[in-house]
Amino acid sequence: MAAIEPLKARKRPIARLGVFVISHSLIVSVICCIAAILALLLLPVLAKNTYISENALMPGSANTMLSSEEVSEADRFMKDVNALSLESVDAGIKIAKLIAQYMADLGAEVCYHKFHHQQNQFNPLHFFSIPDPVVVQRNISCLSFGVNTVGVIRAPRGDGKEAIVLVTPYNSSGMDAAEASSLGIGYSIFSLLSQVTWLAKDIIWLAADSRFGVYAPVAAWLKDYHTPLFSGLGQVNAEVCHESNDLLKLNDAMVSNRNISNIFTRSGTMAAALVIKVVDRHDEADKDTLSIFAEASNGQMPNLDLINIVNYLAVHRQGLRVKVEKFFSLLDSKFLNLVGETVELLGKVAKSLNPNWRFGIPVAEYVEGTATLASSLFNQALGVPTGPHGAFRDYQVDAITLEISPKGSLKNKDQRIDFLMRGGRLVEAVVRSVNNLLEKFHQSFFLYLLTSPSKFVSVGIYMIAFALLIAPLPIVAASLYSDANRRDSSLRNEGSSQPHVFADEPTPTLKSWRWLHAAKSVFIIHFWGSLVTLLPHFISKMPNGTPTSSLIIWLSLCTLSLFLLYMISGSPFSHATASQPQEWAVLKSVTVSAAFIGLCLMSVINFATAEIGALLIVPMCLVAYPLKLDLQDWSFRALIRAACNLTLVLISFPPATFYLFKGGIEGFKSVNAGDFWNWLETLWAWNSATYLYIGMVHLPCWVSCVNILLHPC
Amino acid sequence: TMSDPEILNKKNKKLDFWIWGIASIIFRIILIYFPKNLNLSSRPEVSTPLTNLRRLAEGYWLKQSSISPYAGSMYHGSPLLLSMLGPLTVKKIEGQPNNLLCSLIFVNADFVAALLIRATGHYLQTAYDRSLELLGISTPLGRSEALPSGEIAALVYLWNPLTIVTCLGSSTAPIENLVVILTLCGACAGLAPLAAFGWVMATHFSLYPVILIIPVVLLLGFGPDAPPRKLFIQKKFGKVGMDLSSDKSLKHKEVTTLRVSPMHFSWVNIFHFLFWACLWSIYVLLLCGISLKDYGGLSEMFRRTYGFILCVEDLSPNIGVLWYFFAEVFEFFRGFFLIVFHVNILFMILPLAIRLNHRPCFLAFVYVAISSMLKSYPSVGDAALYLGLLGLFVNELAGKLDILTNAGDMHFSFFLFCGYVGVFLLSPVMHNLWIWRGTGNANFYFATAITYACFQIILVVESVSAMLNHDRFLRKLSTTTTTTAGIS
Repeated sequence: MAAIEPLKARKRPIARLGVFVISHSLIVSVICCIAAILALLLLPVLAKNTYISENALMPGSANTMLSSEEVSEADRFMKDVNALSLESVDAGIKIAKLIAQYMADLGAEVCYHKFHHQQNQFNPLHFFSIPDPVVVQRNISCLSFGVNTVGVIRAPRGDGKEAIVLVTPYNSSGMDAAEASSLGIGYSIFSLLSQVTWLAKDIIWLAADSRFGVYAPVAAWLKDYHTPLFSGLGQVNAEVCHESNDLLKLNDAMVSNRNISNIFTRSGTMAAALVIKVVDRHDEADKDTLSIFAEASNGQMPNLDLINIVNYLAVHRQGLRVKVEKFFSLLDSKFLNLVGETVELLGKVAKSLNPNWRFGIPVAEYVEGTATLASSLFNQALGVPTGPHGAFRDYQVDAITLEISPKGSLKNKDQRIDFLMRGGRLVEAVVRSVNNLLEKFHQSFFLYLLTSPSKFVSVGIYMIAFALLIAPLPIVAASLYSDANRRDSSLRNEGSSQPHVFADEPTPTLKSWRWLHAAKSVFIIHFWGSLVTLLPHFISKMPNGTPTSSLIIWLSLCTLSLFLLYMISGSPFSHATASQPQEWAVLKSVTVSAAFIGLCLMSVINFATAEIGALLIVPMCLVAYPLKLDLQDWSFRALIRAACNLTLVLISFPPATFYLFKGGIEGFKSVNAGDFWNWLETLWAWNSATYLYIGMVHLPCWVSCVNILLHPC
Repeated sequence: TMSDPEILNKKNKKLDFWIWGIASIIFRIILIYFPKNLNLSSRPEVSTPLTNLRRLAEGYWLKQSSISPYAGSMYHGSPLLLSMLGPLTVKKIEGQPNNLLCSLIFVNADFVAALLIRATGHYLQTAYDRSLELLGISTPLGRSEALPSGEIAALVYLWNPLTIVTCLGSSTAPIENLVVILTLCGACAGLAPLAAFGWVMATHFSLYPVILIIPVVLLLGFGPDAPPRKLFIQKKFGKVGMDLSSDKSLKHKEVTTLRVSPMHFSWVNIFHFLFWACLWSIYVLLLCGISLKDYGGLSEMFRRTYGFILCVEDLSPNIGVLWYFFAEVFEFFRGFFLIVFHVNILFMILPLAIRLNHRPCFLAFVYVAISSMLKSYPSVGDAALYLGLLGLFVNELAGKLDILTNAGDMHFSFFLFCGYVGVFLLSPVMHNLWIWRGTGNANFYFATAITYACFQIILVVESVSAMLNHDRFLRKLSTTTTTTAGIS
């Protein structure tokens, strides 16, 4: 017998190291998890200052040319728009006509773009495919439509193959002064750029009619821009809607000017897009404030260079205060302040030891950085774009929203002119810089998190925290699997003292293939996950459903379908017999492997979701242990483990996580039962990969862990 | 002598096979009706420049317009495939998805391939049981308890997601796989004309199966997989040595049984095979010549099909490793590296053939796996083929026979499974990141390709070492039985 067993040859160092790590999986996973959380907390310290990576951009190398002439012209334009919007309640088409007239007077090519309001469609495979241009538009209500006005300046030094897009959203049914001034800024730039000689890229000004939200018009225009349709404005939707309204007639009236056409005007590929938005916050500040929004769908970010040049020009040329979003509630968190103080202290100690070690940062900066980082992570994890710039990212165009709020009042003419001048000069400088680009943005980072407008954490650094967090998963899976196999074979060797008496053998099991059964049950749970992911789509179709009732229906259908699947295919416990003593360990091993694959996949699709998800799933998967064994053991350690298991399982249940999170931020009084459903609906309406992650990775892993806890061993 | 419950059990198993097989067909037909949602035919993992049906349709269209089907570097397949499938690509049925007829043909091809795998499994298993009996090795399990490897392999082939994806992805790979399996099945059954036909067609379609001539010759010469030949020799001489004193009739019987054993190499079968191979290739070339008479003839065909495969002209990304390498390499060294990469496959042929000559079918699996790793335009269809063939050796590789030691046992089966799942999920995401989102680059996608190649290497190494361990185990068993027999 002993001779048959393979000789234990001296293994190579790398194999020995692997065996060592696997046999000490408990301590390795504890160390990895602690290190991962430390690394996450240290990210603001590790953030680097941004720098402009692409040399061709040369921001601020030329003086701005925007003069008071263009600005006062823009002010006149604003007055006209304001007057028109006050004149009648529904002045939509008239405003569009006015804007078009002004554009045409500057010598631009102008066209109208009519779009229909469309409900967001749930398309679970959206992520893996290109935006399908020929999807038949359904769910269109023909009466609700908006009209964008598009003006194009052809570049004197360009060949019309590239363009820079400026977007100024305005609400055509009820415009306020702030929206008018964003149009004003757009107009002042446009009038300047129609005269300059240095333009190498066409300028497209899209005055987006945001009566159905700021995102819809931009998305509709981009879709039509990238879909060659060889017909005029009237025919675009003719198959879907009969033009009963008077737009066509109006259209003919509108096309009086030579430059205004009803044919969709195009230019080349878009190098960059800026969405200009003015917000009147009515708070007195010493400087105008610029907020930058960059997150597009599924945590995609524009190239960092675009943010860099805007930040550089705003701070160093126009003297604006630049902000990015942050969680204000985190600013006075005691824990973060404590961590910040420790970091500062450590930094001081390190500096006293060696003056070259400079990694400490002040407490305030640390806390601020963490709050910004958290907001950046959160927005990316949601996968919902933070503004109309998100629509551009779907076509690989780098875009950001510039939200400018004036320090004074917009009613005061001098302050208004001043504000228009500063805003206009900022946009002009950015356009001039982007105009220098020879290729599309590629030099700088696409994968990063911001900790302040001038500091970022690149993918190489934030991946460390994630990698440390998920590193225990394969190790624990391997250790559980090999342990289960070893115990199995030792049991068998004890049972059979006589090797040649085959008849005494218990029912033969394929030792190295025994994971197949566990894999089957985990696969069934993941299959259930994908079914459950599709259910909300059908539930939302049901009439008169309140969010709470839909949520209850969804949850009960989930449970029902899970039990049905168990009945059809056998529950994961059906295989637990005496001959399989370590069945639960194999099940856990497969669950952990599935979680590992799911998290790895998600980290590539949307890092932020994977990071937050890993913080929830990894401890739950690592700790999971059958409650029955724990209760039989009845030692202190076992009871602690059982308590941990129950808490983790409760926390990681997606609705519970959501309510805890929401309660933690907004206070528990404001939390409604239906909020979770609304949140889910937002996620799927925006085609967020986070939704798929919750349904197809997180929820199945949670169910598998519950199965392990309840395992009858 | 089987008891009633055993017969019932067997019948049930047979029924199970048919139910699951037909279910897989129905599953495919349901999925055919969602071509837009899945959009598999545009995935680089599924269709290659050689197997893409859209390219075939283009080639057919060119030919209908009296232009060479190979004009414009669109089509690179066989002219026979063009005449067979071409008319079906243009035929549209109202209200039905495009390419419905072609898809149905691919579904059929999959099903027939699965049946052939099942038949191959039966041949292999009966032959293997016979040789074990000859060696006097009592297996721990009765004949009925060994896993029905043919059924398992066929179901693995049918339900493998990679096969399903290939079948739905409008690629001609199912037909190529079918002829490869036909070759092996024919050779296992000892039908030289069938084996020759399969081999000629497979070579004609995708060139790489040309190396399968070695396993086919071994199969036809020695018969299906058996324990190492040395054991039979030992057995023979051991027995003969012992039986010198016993009566002659027994000795005579011994010799006659050993004649059908894998000791004997049948040259007749080989000549038979070679003759038929010549005949079939002349026939195929004749047909191709007629088909391409006005468009450059056979030389044009060889240049555009085999030349295209060997020169790696299309560098669009796929799950192989060659596209990246040849996109990077300087033009000056291209010829050199082309030779290096192709010789790589050839280098492995001979050592493997020597080491595994007693297991030709397993050898064929190894060849298919290696060529799918190193071929110029690999797709998941190749993986589907070798994973299906792997199922044929489930008894040997899963340590079913040597249950006590698990000597022949794939240690990393779970690891490999996770790796394959991970790679095939990650690959489309990386492709999306690179091509559609623009936030990644070619290295992202190539990373998954290289991981895939690594997993394939591990699979081949693991399965070969498990098989060799199994052989060692058999040797041990055989020597113990011989000595015990001798003592008694």
